[in-house]
Amino acid sequence: MVTVKLFGTLRLDCGVRELQLEAGNLRELYPELCRALQARRPDLELTEMDLRWCLVAVNGVRVGPRTRLRDGDVVSFFPAAAGG
Amino acid sequence: MTNYCGYMGKVVLLDLGTRKAENYIWTDRDREKYIGGKAMASKILYDNLTGEESAFDPGNLIVIATGPLTGTGAPSSNRFDISSLSPLTGITASSNCGGNFGHYLKKAGFDALILRGRSETPVWLEIENGEFLFHDADALWGMKVSQTQEALQRDLDAAHGGSLRCGMVVIGPAGENLVRYASVMSGERAAGRAGMGAVFGSKNLKAITAAGDAIASVYDKEKAAGHHKRWVASIRSHPLTGGQLPRLGTAGLVSSMQMHGLLSTRNFARGQFEEFEAVSGEALAEELNLGNNGCLSCPIRCSRRVPVDGKKVKGPELETLVLLGGNIGNADLENVCRWNRELDELGMDTISAAGTLAWAMEANEKGLWKNGLSFGETDKISQVFDDIAHRRGIGNELAEGSRRLSEKYGGREFAIQSKGMELAAYEPRRAVGQGLGYAVANRGGCHLNGGYLVVLEGLGLDVNGQTPRGKADFCMFMQDLMEAISMSGQCLFTSYGLLPAFLVGKPNSALTRTVNAVIPFLGPAVRLLNKVPEIAFFQLPLLPYTYELRYATGMKMNIGRFIRCGERSYNVERAVNARFGVSAENDKLPKRLTDVPQIPGRPDTKVPLEQMKKTYYRARGWEKNGLPSEKKLRRLGIR
Repeated sequence: MVTVKLFGTLRLDCGVRELQLEAGNLRELYPELCRALQARRPDLELTEMDLRWCLVAVNGVRVGPRTRLRDGDVVSFFPAAAGG
Repeated sequence: MTNYCGYMGKVVLLDLGTRKAENYIWTDRDREKYIGGKAMASKILYDNLTGEESAFDPGNLIVIATGPLTGTGAPSSNRFDISSLSPLTGITASSNCGGNFGHYLKKAGFDALILRGRSETPVWLEIENGEFLFHDADALWGMKVSQTQEALQRDLDAAHGGSLRCGMVVIGPAGENLVRYASVMSGERAAGRAGMGAVFGSKNLKAITAAGDAIASVYDKEKAAGHHKRWVASIRSHPLTGGQLPRLGTAGLVSSMQMHGLLSTRNFARGQFEEFEAVSGEALAEELNLGNNGCLSCPIRCSRRVPVDGKKVKGPELETLVLLGGNIGNADLENVCRWNRELDELGMDTISAAGTLAWAMEANEKGLWKNGLSFGETDKISQVFDDIAHRRGIGNELAEGSRRLSEKYGGREFAIQSKGMELAAYEPRRAVGQGLGYAVANRGGCHLNGGYLVVLEGLGLDVNGQTPRGKADFCMFMQDLMEAISMSGQCLFTSYGLLPAFLVGKPNSALTRTVNAVIPFLGPAVRLLNKVPEIAFFQLPLLPYTYELRYATGMKMNIGRFIRCGERSYNVERAVNARFGVSAENDKLPKRLTDVPQIPGRPDTKVPLEQMKKTYYRARGWEKNGLPSEKKLRRLGIR
């Protein structure tokens, strides 16, 4: 079980801060997460690609798409952000 | 007078001592070279300051300058600039503000106002339709910002027999008491950086109001209106200017900065804060945000509205959220909102106030200066801010800023400032181009004047933040571009819309990753454009500013000229600073950022400043001492 955290406009769009999911690696997580978010909000216009285009960190460290996940990992999703 | 539209054609020099006003000669040739705003102010300082003056001398000038696009209906074009010698840095500084004063200064009939001298007694200045009226400010002296604004509005309404629409700039107690980082406030917006409020205070000038009926003319109304419409649509459909900024504000960067190791924590000792979620843009949006707000004519509307003491007030920007959050060990969002309001009301720059506070906390922990302040101890902070503004107790010392304090007590290596000005919220050891920008920025540790390379190094695009490759050339390009945008009166946030949506909207796509990998290798191409911007003798929809200037003013404008104007602005400001002793030796960062890796065992996580500086000076065509030569100044038409 991993904890998924959403940030930025993705979090506002989905209305979800975090959720728990089962996945052995990031590739498995994308469709799982997409399904879970759509189940919570059926009107949500979100595709798996939208999630794949986000930057991802595991336990606070940026990772690539092939990253393996361990039980208890915290996986964070960040969409586009700039401007301060 | 001027043959160009967009301008009011009048610049006035007002002596606060003699109360005499005279027209300041500013020709159409000057307008072509410097456009307006900050560049215009820098040239005026260049023509009038000798290098002998200091910030609080009556001989110091305050230049309040607008751009030609202000008042023309161009999107996000309401910015104005206040420039002067800074009491914090001792060199020139410009402070840009989104309040409505610039708009009303033009309605009163002026492109710019130059103030010199010193009033014997506290005064406020009323400008209406080209006329000046001095009023006694004894009754206002000591008042906080909103109280002053309300009192002025009451007086003006009473004198005009009804509600008067006007713009104001005012200072709070911090400016009156010469706190070196006092701000000038216009509405709830601040010209925050570098202590312009203290210069007002030194001149016994509490406030200026402006009103009038003048209208900025537009050269080609039809084309301008069509262009505004297209540009606004583009801003609103962009993932940053139409998504993140209106929905989360600048605060929306906190979580991305955390991921990239850019979130300044405990006086820049670290780049990540364990409790960042509590003081993030998301938390602000979900828990406290009562709506968003924007400057006049701005479709982005990035400002937040939050509740403080039962009132709906301006919320904290990113810089404040980080520097009064993790950087002082605070994870209470309501605290940040309250302190933000208090600092605005006292008239103090939140960045320098927070940076100085963080230095003092560390100095106390290290036993260098026993002041009773500690990271994470937040109970006293409101009182400390009030003490700074009124120069009481340790507040009197904190009012001097971190550089002066570190020179007195030690701890220079962790005084997080450059040229005396405290750094903004981005920890530069994970975005070394941003570190170069902080060091070489004309006004000191400023993220924007430094070129804001962090927009390529993680916040926007995701170019490798540790490599110095290409960064010096991009730094120069971005600095000049931002100068040019600023001098026209527009907000720099419009420039985020220049980043292609198909890249920044999909930060992890294969295409974006490829572009990120290629960008550092584009340094030579960027250097060519920097060196000979005239090769871009055309306009492109990608850069809407040149169209906007052409339609509003009638001035011939293309990309090359626009960039060259930016370069001229950067050089003229540097040339003024040279008179006040600035050279390569002043382009530096504290040792914490250049000598100590952010991640132990990773020597690449520090700023390789000297290496990048050399390349930067070469790119700029400056001498090894970091200054433009006479030849360079002549070539740019400055001399």
